[in-house]
Amino acid sequence: MAEEQESALQLSPSIAAESEGPTEVSPETATPEPPSSAAVSPGTEEPAGDTKKKIDILLKAVGDTPIMKTKKWAVERTRTIQGLIDFIKKFLKLVASEQLFIYVNQSFAPSPDQEVGTLYECFGSDGKLVLHYCKSQAWG
Amino acid sequence: MEEDEFFGEEMFQHYCAEFIKHSQKIGDGWEWRTSKEALEPPLDDFEVTETTTATEVIKYEYHVLYSCSYQVPVLYFRASFLDGSPLALKDIWEGVHECYKTRLLHGPWDTITQQEHPILGQPFFVLHPCKTNEFMTPVLKNFQKINRNVNYITSWLSMVGPAVGLNLPLSYARAAFQDEGNVDRQDSSVEPKNLEEL
Repeated sequence: MAEEQESALQLSPSIAAESEGPTEVSPETATPEPPSSAAVSPGTEEPAGDTKKKIDILLKAVGDTPIMKTKKWAVERTRTIQGLIDFIKKFLKLVASEQLFIYVNQSFAPSPDQEVGTLYECFGSDGKLVLHYCKSQAWG
Repeated sequence: MEEDEFFGEEMFQHYCAEFIKHSQKIGDGWEWRTSKEALEPPLDDFEVTETTTATEVIKYEYHVLYSCSYQVPVLYFRASFLDGSPLALKDIWEGVHECYKTRLLHGPWDTITQQEHPILGQPFFVLHPCKTNEFMTPVLKNFQKINRNVNYITSWLSMVGPAVGLNLPLSYARAAFQDEGNVDRQDSSVEPKNLEEL
């Protein structure tokens, strides 16, 4: 499955830092750079670290939404909910007309511009932020 | 509180009351009005937020009503410039967040329509409620599984609000669901993968 090849790609930090609108994506998966070990966060070093650039997110599917094979991700704090939604939609190969919601506390959808770092501060525990996601046809 | 398949009017009132409690705590301006009160000239309307686009200040007003026919809450809203002139539907569209535009554009005339406010009798924009049940059900079912209660109104508004400029403060998330002990420990030993662009 294509999902297993994701580790070959590199995330450009500048894109993650301002994911206000749709993030730029390259449709190819062929970037052959090896994953940088510095980018992977063990998630247990500094419990309250402001200096820690990435936070651990555990993604859980709700309802009939496909389950992601990889559920645990290290994500830059400045990544927005919208950026995460875009990522999951591509990962799950959802079509543009399908809506994906992300929830904290399994029930509350943060606004798209909310940064995951903030959510981690508010709702994270045990060194990670648990986010539920659900696909739906919200309108029309 | 039983999780019925439908969302009755009493549940609506209950969840709104809980929602208002939190709103009063944080002072973000929501009010509960009965139809009688609503007809009096309001001093403070429901949630009014001001957004600046370019050099214009736009005032948004949001109302949450209960639809007896769909048995779900419905979001009514209107927007005006400071001089009182109302925004047209196309102006509203410009305010819709990017991430919703694609989805909404598939059927804009079904999703945001202009209707008369059933109590105030004035034109408002409305997010069509026909799919509300569909996207709320997985969330509610999920809660049933773990035997917890969720504030339907808070959850629903957090999902539909951002599409039309209404962003609930994060504190509502905590208020709606007090317990924090729901973290799944199974994956704590798994090394996290880097979130990367596809």
